[in-house]
Amino acid sequence: MDRETLEVDILIVGGGPAGMSAALRLAQLQKQQGGEPLTIAVLEKAREVGAHMLSGAVLDPRALEDLVPGFRQKGAPLASEVHHDHVYFLTHGRKFAFPITPPPLKNHGNYIISLNRFVKWLGGLVEAEGVDVFTGFAASELLFDDDRVVGVRTGDRGIGRHGEVKSTFEPGVDVRARVTILTDGVRGNLTKSLVRRLALDDGRSPQIYALGIKELWEVPKDRVPPGTVIHTMGYPLRMEEFGGGFIYVMPDGVVSVGFVSGLDYRDPMFDPHVTFQHFKRHPLVSAMLQGGQMVRYGAKALPEGGWHSIPRAYGDGVLVAGDAAGFLNSMRLKGIHLAMRTGMLAAETAFEAVRANDVSAAKLQAYERRIDASDVRSELHPVRNVHQSFGHGLLAGLAYSGFSLISGGWWVRDPMPSHAGFERMLKIADYYKDGRPDPDATVRPARIDRQITFDRLTNVHFSGTRHAEDQPSHLIVLDTDICRTRCREEYGNPCTRFCPANVYEMVDAGDGTKKLQINASNCVHCKTCDIMDPYQIIEWVPPEGGGGPNYDGM
Amino acid sequence: MSALVIAEQREGKLNRATWEAIAGAQQASGAIRIVMPGAGVDAVAGEVAAAACDEVIAIDDAALEHYTADGYVMALAALIEREKPALVFLPHTYQTRDFAPALAARLSRALITDVTAVKKDGERIVYVRPMFQGKLNADVAAAGPPPHIVTFQIGAFRGDAATRGAAAAPVRKSGITIDASAIRQKPEAPFKEAKQAVDLSQAERIVAVGRGIKGQENLKIAEELSQAMGAEVAASRPICDAGWLPMDRQIGSSGQTVAPKLYVALGISGAIQHLVGMKGSRTIVAINKDADAPIFEVADYGIVGDLFEVVPAMIAELKKG
Repeated sequence: MDRETLEVDILIVGGGPAGMSAALRLAQLQKQQGGEPLTIAVLEKAREVGAHMLSGAVLDPRALEDLVPGFRQKGAPLASEVHHDHVYFLTHGRKFAFPITPPPLKNHGNYIISLNRFVKWLGGLVEAEGVDVFTGFAASELLFDDDRVVGVRTGDRGIGRHGEVKSTFEPGVDVRARVTILTDGVRGNLTKSLVRRLALDDGRSPQIYALGIKELWEVPKDRVPPGTVIHTMGYPLRMEEFGGGFIYVMPDGVVSVGFVSGLDYRDPMFDPHVTFQHFKRHPLVSAMLQGGQMVRYGAKALPEGGWHSIPRAYGDGVLVAGDAAGFLNSMRLKGIHLAMRTGMLAAETAFEAVRANDVSAAKLQAYERRIDASDVRSELHPVRNVHQSFGHGLLAGLAYSGFSLISGGWWVRDPMPSHAGFERMLKIADYYKDGRPDPDATVRPARIDRQITFDRLTNVHFSGTRHAEDQPSHLIVLDTDICRTRCREEYGNPCTRFCPANVYEMVDAGDGTKKLQINASNCVHCKTCDIMDPYQIIEWVPPEGGGGPNYDGM
Repeated sequence: MSALVIAEQREGKLNRATWEAIAGAQQASGAIRIVMPGAGVDAVAGEVAAAACDEVIAIDDAALEHYTADGYVMALAALIEREKPALVFLPHTYQTRDFAPALAARLSRALITDVTAVKKDGERIVYVRPMFQGKLNADVAAAGPPPHIVTFQIGAFRGDAATRGAAAAPVRKSGITIDASAIRQKPEAPFKEAKQAVDLSQAERIVAVGRGIKGQENLKIAEELSQAMGAEVAASRPICDAGWLPMDRQIGSSGQTVAPKLYVALGISGAIQHLVGMKGSRTIVAINKDADAPIFEVADYGIVGDLFEVVPAMIAELKKG
């Protein structure tokens, strides 16, 4: 096949906060140090920069200050400085304020932002430096020379639903690079395959994820002062489940409301989307949303495992930064600044290696040393066991969190043992000993009023997600027989519940049984199915470039 | 303010959306003229001359026989520069989407697309256009010198609401000629699918089926109803996903957007993805077992009941007439 090839010095895969920070840093180094100009390219699967960006979001500006000094004057889109912090413990119908704001949740000096707008702005700075940002191109596989990464291949376009070549067919492009920086986000498909191939997670704890579901609302102005940040624990989760809600208030009555559920729950009937609806019906939240309008919806997984779950983030010709490697502080619910910082450190390492004409793993190991010397380690290392402690329930987690502030994160067993989230899910027979629930019904349904609460399908519409319909499913289920037989019996098809976008449906097979239907075009690229499927037979691969959500303003 | 409406025809057949653009233009401006680009367009120019307008200007040139973006931009830019209208209106068709941005750029004038309503704010005209996939409506006014170029969303205005003139308006030739050698695109013969694809957006009546139809074998009841009504059959997504009807019959955000005079929804719950594709229909009749189904929020007539009882009764009644 005739395939185009593009040669660059440094390739960045994924135009999020980590990727864009890496690109900008490279351009800055180039300017400062001069010499033969390096070619730098960024690949981004979204149609436009920022369209797949989803976060709360509260930004700790530390890394930004270093990357873009004077960022306030340079038009950084910061919706509001944080003025009010509240943390509540919720019960059904009531709220209890924490007597003091726990130190990790103090947000004074931070900013409420739309990550979509923020990354668009960063992307603008990157492009202004002459870096090529190729939007609408998904990297489908890594190119190797033995075990050395030499670039990526982008996905083919114009393949039909059944794999047939259409008249619009265009083969993917081979982008060859001396150093490839992977910033493909949480559970990135390239990082996943790299970690497997090179066993980069050897000796590390399994990654633990959570799923964040968020809506953007417009409510009457001045209902809540802009700059208000609210975090909640407790209801609608039970003591055994990890997670919590957030409400961030921006100017002009724009409110970001969301709920994060740990993807390590035991109850196979647990439903993160329904949990979010219960959260919105709590008086604390419903009073705020009443009479307003939901304007956007989205969902994204978060890597919450912390320091012990970060794989070796370098190899021959390759570096990994941001959420892709798990640089996120789950105690502070923040990862943007760490994504930016690790992106910048990866850029510095890559630049140095290319200049020295040595892109071996030994040379790129400098990345690890840079991280260890930076505020990434000083922030993540002391809380290295906190998320694991929540695996023993909310009370144990809170108790250990307090203890870790004194002990510097020490524990009798360090790393504290933990399991991958999907391994913790119990079978229906083991969890529901008193009677088997109907796998097609919700155990604790929330009332859907289409004012404050919505069904999944309506929500999906507001993610703006679009995919070319006539393409193969980008969610590959290796054996759908398991779905209709074993999984239905053992777990009751949890994919129909943990997917926040109604991708997975069990429909009548016509013979009295149910079969799996994959509505791939609903997918919002959150990666939850790839993470949480108890049999690990769902593989998320990138759809045709440009497909996916449109998180304008999210 | 004087306005030009750019009509759309293919092989002498008028695109119905032209009438919608005329209706919208009549709301915005007192004095409209209609432009008909193409080759051999006398008959179709005469057709639109029935509208209440000052005149119809035919840009009749062999180089416009087959649509090309270059040809249309050249012809229309020359005409607009000569006639100096304050406003230019187009229906937001696929063809318009292809050349209108280039036309606006060629003239260095503002382009407002996908407009659903027109309001007057003193001297100024304010256009309403949807944002966030129809969740919000933005009021937009054009900045910069005239003419302002505006496209109307399909189905936003009703073609049959366009005012007709007392007598046919005069048709004149523009006298504009086009340098065919400057057209860079070389159109090939129009692509025709082996099976006649349906253009549901042109249907006046539609019978649409949803999950409530239960099985493929039950589709014949919808087909019978559509025959009795002279309607096209369409469906919501699950029906086409299951392969019971071809994808080109799908209505909604991943299918076609329609605005027929009559839309009969059988067993369609009314997911928002479906509603955005049909809510512009003039009269919506919904039949559904579930009284809480969202389809009833947009329906003009709703029947809470079993479609397998209601539809045969409707067919029997229609056959009597």
